[in-house]
Amino acid sequence: MEHLLETIGRNMFAIFGVMALCGAAFMVASKSAVHSVLGFLFAMLCIAGCFLSLDAEFLGMAQILVYAGGIVVLFLFVVMLVELSKFKEKTVFQLQSRYAVVAVLLGAVAFIGVFRKVIFGTASTEALVLRPELAQGLNVAQQNAQAVSRGLFADYLLPFEILSVILLVALVGAVVLAKTERV
Amino acid sequence: MVSLNAVLLISFLLFSIGIIGVLIRRNALVILMCVELMLNAANLNFIAFARHSGSVSGQAFALLVMGFAAAEVAVGLALVVALYRKRDTVQVDDINLLKG
Repeated sequence: MEHLLETIGRNMFAIFGVMALCGAAFMVASKSAVHSVLGFLFAMLCIAGCFLSLDAEFLGMAQILVYAGGIVVLFLFVVMLVELSKFKEKTVFQLQSRYAVVAVLLGAVAFIGVFRKVIFGTASTEALVLRPELAQGLNVAQQNAQAVSRGLFADYLLPFEILSVILLVALVGAVVLAKTERV
Repeated sequence: MVSLNAVLLISFLLFSIGIIGVLIRRNALVILMCVELMLNAANLNFIAFARHSGSVSGQAFALLVMGFAAAEVAVGLALVVALYRKRDTVQVDDINLLKG
């Protein structure tokens, strides 16, 4: 029992990753849009778990807040708004889906061809740990939010400010696009 | 301990599922969700490499990407709502006004 728990704790990332893959596959494959949104929600929560198991606590929490709390609710609102049951979906998938799947499979084969050495090589068993000389003075694992804020507000202040402008533009754009015609 | 390749493999598979969804689904909402999924796969890579190299730049950028994703979703969903008002559909096959 203890051994089992230890194994699970060591493979937390893989478990969450596979669950995220399942959620994503359900999202793509399900006919109903509401089911798709639920699969999306599940995948996002599992990706947050992946972030947590990679020692990115702040980002994991931000992922849960932004995606599960904001974006999924937005998606659900729009799904309810556009009333998908009104028009019957003739077929869920594109007509040329066969070609798309073939293209993606080709891409996967190309990926494995390029990264074959990396995936199956000797370096693939190397664990993902901080090099001690880099971790010194930074301490990513212990003070994650502090470290991220230092990166965000010291090194990348300009992109951060640009992002705020972009968010403002998106806000105005969304209001303009979605408002009704009558003034 | 997580090996870098496991993260890369999971993120590659997530990205592939996102691309498959964008290519084969006809519902504009599902296509938007798949785009979000691809952004999240990129975020996963950012965080893995930040962990690998010991800097927080990757995590900071992942946070920025999250903000961009939120903006993109807001505009995209507004477009879908506007489209539904105008054309009464969210199926991308029926939106062929620009077809020559």
